[in-house]
This record gives sequence, structure tokens and C-alpha cells, in this order.
Amino acid sequence: MKKLLRRLFLLGALAGAAYAARSYLKGHSTGQETVQIVFDDGSTRSLASNTTEGQEFTDIARKLVETRL
Amino acid sequence: MTERRETGTAEDLDGVLADLRALSEDIDSCAVLSGDRDLLSSSHEPGVERERVGAMLAALVYLSERVARESGKGHISQLRIDTGEGHLLVVQLDGGGVLAATTGQEARVGLVLYDMRNARGEVEKALAEGSDQ
Repeated sequence: MKKLLRRLFLLGALAGAAYAARSYLKGHSTGQETVQIVFDDGSTRSLASNTTEGQEFTDIARKLVETRL
Repeated sequence: MTERRETGTAEDLDGVLADLRALSEDIDSCAVLSGDRDLLSSSHEPGVERERVGAMLAALVYLSERVARESGKGHISQLRIDTGEGHLLVVQLDGGGVLAATTGQEARVGLVLYDMRNARGEVEKALAEGSDQ
């Protein structure tokens, strides 16, 4: 019985680790850089869609693309 | 279809934007926002609220300026946003105004931005002539 519980615990830990790794990788893959800002000195800054800042830009831009200018 | 706000400036701007759309076929719509955040010329479809479009474009310019300040930069010269359904492109004009355009998702964005930068001089000229009147 003790051996069975240990195996169940190990199985649960492995499943949890796999789920955490999958979520981590998924979160990173969806954060594509969708906003690119070029400054007057020629430097650029990119904002990913999974950041609050990037989301602010894409929310407004999406409405403007839909409705047109 | 083009909305006109003032004669003179608006007619000149309409002509410049029409030339830009003819040159760059990937552009779906384009507009000019003045330094005072006033929508001077817009090629939107009927039914779209002009003030709403102007306010949203002004909000984007404000957000860009905020990022520039936070990054320790002066001003932005270009903004490119991929929405997943299309692109919104913005090119800064002299005097704080912007030339903006929307494209489809498959547009050749680099080429459109190149055409917008080339049209910038004509837009600024039309704005300057309008302010002289």
C-alpha cells in the first residue's frame, strides 16, 4: 500500500511538472512581437502581444483595421 | 470615399492620399491626423464615426509618445502594429501630425511604409499650404 502511494505521488509530480512546462512554453510562444516602434534616432523597440503595453496598442489598432481609417 | 473637413488643406490632402492609395495597392485606408490631434483627412467607409476614428488614432499616438518618453527617446518616427487580421502603420510628420494607413494581413508592409515615407513630404507640403491660407 505504501509503495502504491509513493508511485501515485511520483506520477502526480511528473504530471504536474509536464503541465507546468507546457504552460510555460505555450505562454512564451504566444508572446509574439506585434508592435514595432522606430524612434527618431533610428533605434527601435518591440512590444510583445502578451504584455500589457503591447495589448494596449493592438486593441486599438485592431478596431482601426476593422473599421478602417 | 473621402471625408473633407476644410477646403484647401483637405482637398490637397485628399489628392495626396488618393495618389498614395493608387501607388500602394496594399493600403486599405489611410488618414492624416494633425499635431492638434484633429483628423484632417480620412478615407473611411460611410457609417464610421469620424470622431471615434480620430480619437483612437490620437490614443495610439499618445501611447507611442509615452513609450518614447519611458525609453528616454525624443519622438517616434514610425509605428507598425500587426493585429493578426491586418496591419496599422503610422509615419510621423513634421509638426507632430501623423500619416496612418491600414492594410490586410498579407500586405507587403515594408513596401507600404516606404511609400508612406515618400508621401510624407507631399502631406507636409499640403498641411503647410493649408495653414498659410
